[in-house]
Amino acid sequence: MNREKIAMSITIGLVCVLLISIMFAQFKTVEQTDITGIETAREEELREMLASWKSKYEEVNQKVEETTHKIDEYKDKAASIEETNNLLDKELLQTDKLVGKTDVTGEGVIISLTDNQDTQIEDTDLLKLVNELKLAGAEAISINDKRIVNMSEIVNVNGTILVNTERITSPYTVKAIGNQKYLSSALSLKNSGYIDKYTSYGKTISMSVEKNIKILAYSGGKNLMEFRYAKEAK
Amino acid sequence: MIFIAIIVGSIIGALIGINIPTISYTYSGYLAIAIIAALDSVFGGITSTLKKNFDMKIFLSGFFVNAILAMALTYLGQKLNLDIYLAALVVFVWRMFDNLGTIRRYYVEKITTRKIIAKAEATIKKANEEQK
Repeated sequence: MNREKIAMSITIGLVCVLLISIMFAQFKTVEQTDITGIETAREEELREMLASWKSKYEEVNQKVEETTHKIDEYKDKAASIEETNNLLDKELLQTDKLVGKTDVTGEGVIISLTDNQDTQIEDTDLLKLVNELKLAGAEAISINDKRIVNMSEIVNVNGTILVNTERITSPYTVKAIGNQKYLSSALSLKNSGYIDKYTSYGKTISMSVEKNIKILAYSGGKNLMEFRYAKEAK
Repeated sequence: MIFIAIIVGSIIGALIGINIPTISYTYSGYLAIAIIAALDSVFGGITSTLKKNFDMKIFLSGFFVNAILAMALTYLGQKLNLDIYLAALVVFVWRMFDNLGTIRRYYVEKITTRKIIAKAEATIKKANEEQK
């Protein structure tokens, strides 16, 4: 009887230990979970919330990606447009140079022709000189700062010389930019060269070779730069 | 003797429970239903003691098997996405109240009987004295 009672007491004591320890552990868990502030949300709710946020996040992410893609495309386009612009600018500059719309500098020669008591400088002299210079590879030519362009004329009208429809007088300064060696040697060939030939006729011509010559842009009226009759052929 | 065992066991259990590492929130649901099942068994045990038909084997098997079964049901419910633990909870709490009612009635009856007996004894004593 007594032994049975002791065994019962121990068993019930152990059961109490188990039950109360589990209860207290549970109390602690619940309390700590309360502190983290998700006590009202059950696991399934949390899972649902997580899933919905995940899908939202994915959506937004996709949008971001799309937008980034578009931005990249626009950037590419902008870059290509800029490239074309640059190319066009370059081309324009070259064309301007070619037709004489810009001031240019470079190495070349300066030839001065002056009237003297015996002979005068004539339009044909200048024409020939310009021709020779062109042959020798001159890239830009001017007479008394009148730029010689595509349609420039050098004519004698009633004893005065016109260049680009403007009157010029002695002394005539012809500037030419190009390869110094070619230009100077082409003009100063012995006997048959331009300078020798014309000085032998008694004209006053001198040539100087210079490193840095500035030739001004075409400054005359629009007439020589405009096309009124010629149209592009297809 | 039994009361001493219960008090000592409770104190030791409280100390262990406080010092145990925190259980993950995911498993706290299982533990809660197990605790309710165990409490139900305890009240059942007290009731059967009062009715003088307490059996240690039945008490112990009920204590553990009910707890484990309740946890298993909860687990199954989670797998089925059905809150089966609610049904277990209802049954356990129902039975707890049932047992508590039995215990209450037992003590109320006991006290009432004691008072009646005391009154009767007092009356008998008085009668005896008067007779003398």
